Amino acid sequence: MKPSHKHLSSQVLRLYRINAGSCNGCDVELAVTASVSRFDVGSLGCSYTENPADAHIVLITGPLTVRVREKVLRCYAEVPEPKIIILVGVCPISGGVFRDSYAVSGPVDRYLPVDVNVPGCPPRPQAVLAGITEAADLWRARQGIAVASPTAVTSACQGQGANGTTGVRGRMRFTAAACVGCRMCEHVCAGGAIRFQEEETGLRFTLWHNTCAFCGMCSHYCPTKALTATDEWQMAHRQEEKYRLVEQGIIPLVPCTGCGVPMLPVAAELLRIVYRGVSRETERLKTLCTECRQKQSIGGLRR
Amino acid sequence: MSTKTITLGPSQLALEEPMYFRVETEGEIVAGIDVMAGQVHRGMEHLVMKRNLYQNITLLERLCSLCSNSHPSTFCTAVEEIAGIRIPLRAEYLRAIADEIKRISSHLFNSAVIAHITDRASIFKQAMEVREIMQNTKESIYGNRMDLAANCIGGVRYDLTPESAGYLTKQMERMKEPLDELYRLYTTDPALRERSEGVGVLSRQNAVDCGVVGPVARASGIDYDVRKKSPYGAYDRLCFTTAVETAGDVRARIMVRLREAREAVSLIDQCLVAMPAGPVWADALPEIPAGEAIAKSEAPRGELIYYLNTDGTDMPLRLKWRVPSFMNWDALKIMLIGEHIADIPLIVNSIDPCISCTDR
Amino acid sequence: MIDAHENIAKALKCSTGEEVAVTWRLDRKGVATGWCRLREAAGILPAARAVADLKGRLSMVTAYLPEATKHSGVRELAYHFDLDGTTLTIRIQLPPERAQVPSLTPVFRSADWNEREFMELYDIKVTGHPDPRRLFLDESIEPAAFERLIPYSTFSNGASSKALWDRVFADNDHKESP
Repeated sequence: MKPSHKHLSSQVLRLYRINAGSCNGCDVELAVTASVSRFDVGSLGCSYTENPADAHIVLITGPLTVRVREKVLRCYAEVPEPKIIILVGVCPISGGVFRDSYAVSGPVDRYLPVDVNVPGCPPRPQAVLAGITEAADLWRARQGIAVASPTAVTSACQGQGANGTTGVRGRMRFTAAACVGCRMCEHVCAGGAIRFQEEETGLRFTLWHNTCAFCGMCSHYCPTKALTATDEWQMAHRQEEKYRLVEQGIIPLVPCTGCGVPMLPVAAELLRIVYRGVSRETERLKTLCTECRQKQSIGGLRR
Repeated sequence: MSTKTITLGPSQLALEEPMYFRVETEGEIVAGIDVMAGQVHRGMEHLVMKRNLYQNITLLERLCSLCSNSHPSTFCTAVEEIAGIRIPLRAEYLRAIADEIKRISSHLFNSAVIAHITDRASIFKQAMEVREIMQNTKESIYGNRMDLAANCIGGVRYDLTPESAGYLTKQMERMKEPLDELYRLYTTDPALRERSEGVGVLSRQNAVDCGVVGPVARASGIDYDVRKKSPYGAYDRLCFTTAVETAGDVRARIMVRLREAREAVSLIDQCLVAMPAGPVWADALPEIPAGEAIAKSEAPRGELIYYLNTDGTDMPLRLKWRVPSFMNWDALKIMLIGEHIADIPLIVNSIDPCISCTDR
Repeated sequence: MIDAHENIAKALKCSTGEEVAVTWRLDRKGVATGWCRLREAAGILPAARAVADLKGRLSMVTAYLPEATKHSGVRELAYHFDLDGTTLTIRIQLPPERAQVPSLTPVFRSADWNEREFMELYDIKVTGHPDPRRLFLDESIEPAAFERLIPYSTFSNGASSKALWDRVFADNDHKESP
């Protein structure tokens, strides 16, 4: 029997890990949080347990394969209330790159009440610790225990890693002014994280980070570098925010200076690539739609 | 003879991945074993056929995060073979660097797990801390500690500036002594020695019969390393000794991996010196004609083979791969017979099985 | 190199009784791959014995339903053997009715898992297999998964993504980029 929680603000919260068919990336990083002193969960007042009956917080990795689904649900059921679920990596959150496979049953929130999500592929140990801190605070708050101010470890987790690295592949940033709407990013995205919507006033770009593999293929193949990776790796969030972890932008349509029909503007970056620079002529032609441009440059429409 | 189902499952840290075994025992001795796979089956062979070649580079890297880079690099090699693309020399070295960095990290992780299983907690922590040098290196150079996103069709997606090359050189220098020290520890620590010497033996003949690959094969005296037998990328210009042992026991497999990790440091040094200036990828969006090709590489766990059939579009017609771990499970049937059930986790981990690779 | 290639072709002819034409390719690093086809599917077993006699091993087996023969249901199996660094691919075709092939387990132990792997994905019977159980696929998934699924791929792949993206769009309806 668990003792009453009310006075146990300093109680060690025990973490129980469930692998729901993961590629082992997130699990290897979780192993790091149990063995490497810089990332040890002990500094958060937590420890790992192999006994679900002892646990307070459940961490789930993997896309929830058809094969392990029942075992995962049974394992979860063995953890007594009150309990918190953290999903580690984008796979349990959305299926990640494995979504829509016959062998994948997830996302996990179809079956279980998820509390905290830590996106990444895999997320850094610092991100996992931030997620665990969030979960621990949530657990304590639900017991009516006063939540302590962020621990020294958590604040140390912000910003750079130990070697001052800024190269971490984190949140993606979209610059609408540089986008030409070629949709190459959507084409090369393995996670299905990018969608374009044609709207009345423009072309809307949406990148949903909870299914992003943070691989940077989109950025690599973007001809004008309208999409780039930032080093913002801290993306742990509560379940309520799950669908709002997006990067969005709209390329507004502009009227053709010849006939007035709305069209996608030609980004300056594209002109630089194609024409190595911008002359007065290209400046003029770029404000015209394809039909008007044909009329102007070759005297008529060729079909 | 009683049949007991021993499950090494998702809740144990010793095995990060879920795999189940049905073990037949005579008392406390193993008389038979059946491997029950499929927990991590995500249907990837089906998924890759519904994704284009570009998406597959990212998808295949996530077959398994420990081997990770070997998958996209071998896949890209197969595409390049079909398209007749010759990747720039600089890219060949950069691919080798990525592969060798993963090899070191993967071998250190396995070594750490083995120390953990044999209750050598201090050695476990030491191995994990040494591995952190590699993890930080990966994060600095590639932006992620596990999945490097290093490859594209036609070459690599990353480059080394003089600054980052200098950083990599320093990191490799920092690895040399600790790796030598770990080798000394793993081979001379009395407790480890007792648990690993003469345990889980796979004779050379059995190794040949089972068709095992990688460190498991080399620990049983089979001198086969894809980097030498079927050279690819920069390996036809790099100098290294294949790590071969003959005892075929758990200890021999530990030794092979630690020697390979140390050798990998030297390979990275060679690449940094030999790498010429120049582009790192051949063409932005190459034409991939209809055709087929086989590509092989030496992943951390052994021979990885890819077969690709294309039809001129950027969707694969057929894509099949066979991971090294797939060939090694069978050998467990021989290694475990006659051993004590308490040694099962140790012997299983000594083949460094990659369940996510196998289940795919 | 050329002698070794001739030996292989000879050995295959000897064991299968067929005149086997092997196409050899050499890549830029000098690594060779050989490609050939057998007329008789059952010939794969004696062919495997020839490879074993040449100290080769079974590396991988690819089963597939080629686009060209999809409507007729003719399946192909490509057996990839390693001969000391050279990969030899031997292909056989299986008739639509009664697609069956002999197990290579009498020659190569490693054929066991390789064959179990494709048996659960394609409607191919492997005669003489010592242990024809499912390997990776959950019992709830229909057998010959690749043959059942591919025609229905439009069903299996859209549903989950659509539901998630509908939520993404709904939750961000009024949002602009920062």
